[in-house]
Amino acid sequence: MVGVIRRLNQLTALVRIRNGPGAAVLPQDVTRIHMEFAHKINGGHMGPRKFWRDALPRLKYWNPAVPMVVNRSNNQEGPAMLTLYFREPGSAFTSDIPQPSSSTEGFAKAPVPAPGERVLTIDMKNRRSEAILKEFMDKSGAVAVKMTPQDEAKLREVEDLEATGAIDREKVAKMNAAAKREKQMIAQAHSEAAAIKAAL
Amino acid sequence: MASLNQCLASLARLNLTAPARPTAVASTIPKFLLPTATATATASSVRYASGGGGMRKRPVKKKKVYKTFRSYDLSPMEQFSLCDAMRYLRAFEVGRPPTVVKYELAVKLKTHKSGPVIRNRIRLPYPVKTDTRIGVVCPEDSPMMVEAQQLGAVAVGQESLFESIRQGNIPFNKLICHVDSQEALSKSYLGKILGPKGLMPNTKTKTITSDIKATMQELIGADEYRERTGVVRLAVGQLGFTPQMLSDNIKSLMSMLKADINNIDDSYTKALDEIVLSSTNGPGFSLNGIFLSADEKLKPEHLQSVM
Repeated sequence: MVGVIRRLNQLTALVRIRNGPGAAVLPQDVTRIHMEFAHKINGGHMGPRKFWRDALPRLKYWNPAVPMVVNRSNNQEGPAMLTLYFREPGSAFTSDIPQPSSSTEGFAKAPVPAPGERVLTIDMKNRRSEAILKEFMDKSGAVAVKMTPQDEAKLREVEDLEATGAIDREKVAKMNAAAKREKQMIAQAHSEAAAIKAAL
Repeated sequence: MASLNQCLASLARLNLTAPARPTAVASTIPKFLLPTATATATASSVRYASGGGGMRKRPVKKKKVYKTFRSYDLSPMEQFSLCDAMRYLRAFEVGRPPTVVKYELAVKLKTHKSGPVIRNRIRLPYPVKTDTRIGVVCPEDSPMMVEAQQLGAVAVGQESLFESIRQGNIPFNKLICHVDSQEALSKSYLGKILGPKGLMPNTKTKTITSDIKATMQELIGADEYRERTGVVRLAVGQLGFTPQMLSDNIKSLMSMLKADINNIDDSYTKALDEIVLSSTNGPGFSLNGIFLSADEKLKPEHLQSVM
């Protein structure tokens, strides 16, 4: 099994999922979130895809109880929509009603709002993920999480580690390239010698 | 001029018998083909056995051979309760189809590199895989054949089955064999095809049996695990499982593993070392054996919403 320190470094990087774009607590009246977009980036689906990969894990971490369903399809011309479901004031709607779970085949269409629920949609097509996140924060009323001093220290640690890692990686790449070149030269010399031997 | 002479000499030597004196460089490379720096270096440093001393021979360091798999000091390792680990993993896997993505458990053992390994089958309280397709090797036209087909075997037979396996037609992912067909199976030389896939029936894995019905029922919904390089790895849940379901599965696997360890001969030391929970796309979380989250605000109910 991989050594403890290497695994620990990966876990230190969890500070990235606790903080950063999308680390926000949703208000109590948000019942569920639904996203729909295509698998590939062409046709204006890059922003939504980035939002799903970058912001949605952070939102899920801070709001573990809110169902977040992603419906990806192969239809690149299809819509890219984010649907926010809110509980109407005074209604006793709970978000654990049965609903389709995430799909990669386009089967999990956005459910119709249940009684006591209202929806807001965000059109994500041809937009950058930052713009989508900004509109999401405005429309949902989510409150961004402030980074704790411990997390700040951890983040610095991670960044330092990555910087040293980049330097080391360059060094090793150079060494590997030199070794490869030498091997290639020797192989070439061998093959030329063999050719001469064959010609004699 | 000297270099040309050397070159011709080395070429001429190629046609003769063994060189009179050992050359410093492999004789297949003519000297003019070597990079110049190396060529001059070798030319000036050619030494023969006669003169004083030469290179001192250093004793070759023997690499230490460890008899056990490496066991790490776990004190710097951050460990998580099950609910905390699930919270992170669910965040990593958000938006992925919950039946495809699996929770995986890796149990590291303190164990020798040689000696018996843990290998067994378990029926988890909440099955993870649901696509068991069983093939049955049994004498053709026997009542067993009909029975196996009725129980849902996808391929049944003896010579006909061997022939289709040889042609690369393997519709099953588990293969069992009746005792009566054991000899025919060993004579068919299918080990080369079935062995690497882990499908070869074997008394040790209880896949050679005299009771087809009981074995098939045992196989459906059962997962196999084995120790490889000191670690037992097994998928223990789907992403959609609740914390309680996952906890039940992990508990039953751990109690089974403990029984397996106890069953092993006392002369071999084997003990649990570390338990790591990960998911298809997530990192590994070392578990501390506690169920509830360290964060009091996080309840297990929060971790069962639709993914």
